[in-house]
Amino acid sequence: MEISRRDFMHLAAILGLGAVTNLQAGQKAPKDITLKDIYSFNAKGNVTLLHMCDLHAHLKPLYWREPSTLISAPNLVGTPGFLCGEAFAKHYGLEPSSLDAYFDTHMDFDTLAKKFGKMGGVAHMKTLINHIKKERGAENVLFMDSGDTWQGTGVALKTNGEAIVAAQNYLGVDVMVGHWEFTYGKTQVKKLIEQLNAKFISQNIIGDDPFADDYEELIFEPYTIEERGGAKIGIIGQSFPFTSTANPKEFTQGWSFGLRLETLQEYVNELRGEHKVDCVVVLSHDGFSVDQEVARQVKGIDFILSGHTHDPSPKPIVINGCAIVIAGSHGKYIGRLDIDIKDGRVKDYEYKLIPIASNLIPADKEGLKLIDELYAPYAKEFNEVLGKTKNTLYKRDTFFSTFDQLINDAIMDEMKCDISFTPGYRWGTTVLAGGDILMDNVYEMCGITYPNVYTFELKGQRIATLLEDIADNVFNVNPLYQQGGDMSRLGGVTYDIAVGNPTGKRISNLMVGGKPIDLNKTYVVSSWGGNLQNAGEKLQKDKIKPVYDVVRDYIKRKKVVDVSNKGNVRLLDYDCGCPKKGSKGC
Amino acid sequence: MQRREFFKKLGVAAAAGAVLPSLALSNEAAAPKPKGPNELSYKDAVNAITGGKKVVNSPLVHLKAPEIAENGAVVPVTVEVDSPMTENDYVKAIHIFATKNNNTRCIDVHLTPANGKAMFATRIKLGGTQEVAALVELSNGTFLVATQSVKVTIGGCG
Repeated sequence: MEISRRDFMHLAAILGLGAVTNLQAGQKAPKDITLKDIYSFNAKGNVTLLHMCDLHAHLKPLYWREPSTLISAPNLVGTPGFLCGEAFAKHYGLEPSSLDAYFDTHMDFDTLAKKFGKMGGVAHMKTLINHIKKERGAENVLFMDSGDTWQGTGVALKTNGEAIVAAQNYLGVDVMVGHWEFTYGKTQVKKLIEQLNAKFISQNIIGDDPFADDYEELIFEPYTIEERGGAKIGIIGQSFPFTSTANPKEFTQGWSFGLRLETLQEYVNELRGEHKVDCVVVLSHDGFSVDQEVARQVKGIDFILSGHTHDPSPKPIVINGCAIVIAGSHGKYIGRLDIDIKDGRVKDYEYKLIPIASNLIPADKEGLKLIDELYAPYAKEFNEVLGKTKNTLYKRDTFFSTFDQLINDAIMDEMKCDISFTPGYRWGTTVLAGGDILMDNVYEMCGITYPNVYTFELKGQRIATLLEDIADNVFNVNPLYQQGGDMSRLGGVTYDIAVGNPTGKRISNLMVGGKPIDLNKTYVVSSWGGNLQNAGEKLQKDKIKPVYDVVRDYIKRKKVVDVSNKGNVRLLDYDCGCPKKGSKGC
Repeated sequence: MQRREFFKKLGVAAAAGAVLPSLALSNEAAAPKPKGPNELSYKDAVNAITGGKKVVNSPLVHLKAPEIAENGAVVPVTVEVDSPMTENDYVKAIHIFATKNNNTRCIDVHLTPANGKAMFATRIKLGGTQEVAALVELSNGTFLVATQSVKVTIGGCG
């Protein structure tokens, strides 16, 4: 039975049966595309899974430009998870200047932004969800959230995540896992889970405090079994495996993370063997490329609903009969997965990554009211216009993006340091060229619970080693050793990088303030969002200040900011930011 | 659940194991000093145990360690060997190595058929990113090994 299921999926993959997507929906010329095109779906079977990931607390629509540079180890470049721009458009057959091209790539972003408007927003998502629930019957629909939902905006930060839980309850989320959720600390996480109507599951978080009652015990339920459309669906939770190294340990002291593929396999077997489920789903925050590796190593998973790496993937990837989907970030998409479950197994499925085009999908009134209520206490602060930007401010890209550069400029201006480190998170916002920068935008870029900018001293040697270490976290050939972010952004520094070189030998021509780095010299370094300060000496305590205040004050002083998109990193292995598979160019 | 029972059984052994390796590694921290008599390279340390006998990579040895260490000072490592543990066929010893630590040999565990199961869990200290190895001596005198790379990093991204 197990084998015939896999054989079918394999065949389906070859023939393109199961994975036929409604790509044409977003391909029409802007003026011709209607709500009907967005809703259009070749409905299938008895169950619908709705999926969102990495909302990053964006309750309101926003502009979000996808990366123009997305580089990884040579074996992964040009594969789903590492596709951008033209390479992405070609891989998925997108029409230039279409709604899909606007949502999925950086190309012509500012122009298309004016045509199509903002993306996402929970009030618009809700209208779509209501439509699907009506079409399929609410009792046949399950809404899954891959996490990174509670953090990323001012309203999330100021309410310690409570505003976002209210929005999840409004949307009707059924099951979730986490990552940035944990940066509110264990106590607040537990409090928010109490408020949440969804189930919070994770098979890969285990107590590791030998003196606690939960030592070597699961912290959350590892899985849940949900009945929809007459089928039993087993859902296993996989929270971000590297939470304790990517974010400060103190938030999750006593909890151990990790991939834990052995126990994942045990739970798959338990669901199939003991509980006789008809379909096994892994709800994951591993990242898109890590989950492709998970599908290679763990047997018997039907679907992985992935998250963390923010990839919009218009088509599922099928590995060993397991279909993997991921639904972008920032509320830009809802993934709809219709499944035909019969005789205790998955017969067929249909998937579409649905763009939440806020100009085409009308807002649900109740949602607008909820957002107004949640924002009201902070409206004055968030809506303050700090200044204007000449060029587009965006976040993402492997080495450099303009909003990060603005943050580094602000830090260097205030802290008078030689080098500034800004983390390579993949969440943030986009401000169009000529647009106002609001305080809300600053929170969208750096609203975290450990916001302090630290200024301290580091030896040149240490800085060089550190950069290699970070590069290895991003460019390791084995996805299991990657942490799924981008390179830290450096102010005051330029360097060349050959990502395909061995560990510790990728970076060359490292310059600080225009001069070659002196390995024996001590440099003044400012950093935020990491733990670099622990490696430094002579911490300047009087200079410690939250990064969002540093950036706010800088933009106010400048009034108009002019950040060039030239970048400070020279890539030696590739000629462009979005290479195609097996090529050095585009 | 299986896992829980497994850890309950293991409880005492693991607690004891947590103390031993820290003693074994107590002189590990100071990196640049000259090597002492117990500080052998991985290769030499393996040879000291095997007497130069052939060591075979084996799927019978299950070495469990995290891909990325949450804390390099206490990296959980579990070694389990598929063995009947009878008088005629049992695991005599499990040796755990941190291949690039100053002192590579973390712990030696000697077993008899009375142990019932060839399994040992402990925490070891890793000075940096490296391979962890589990060397297993069988009662018939053969040596098996399994390795896994563990990354020790200052941290990353989100």
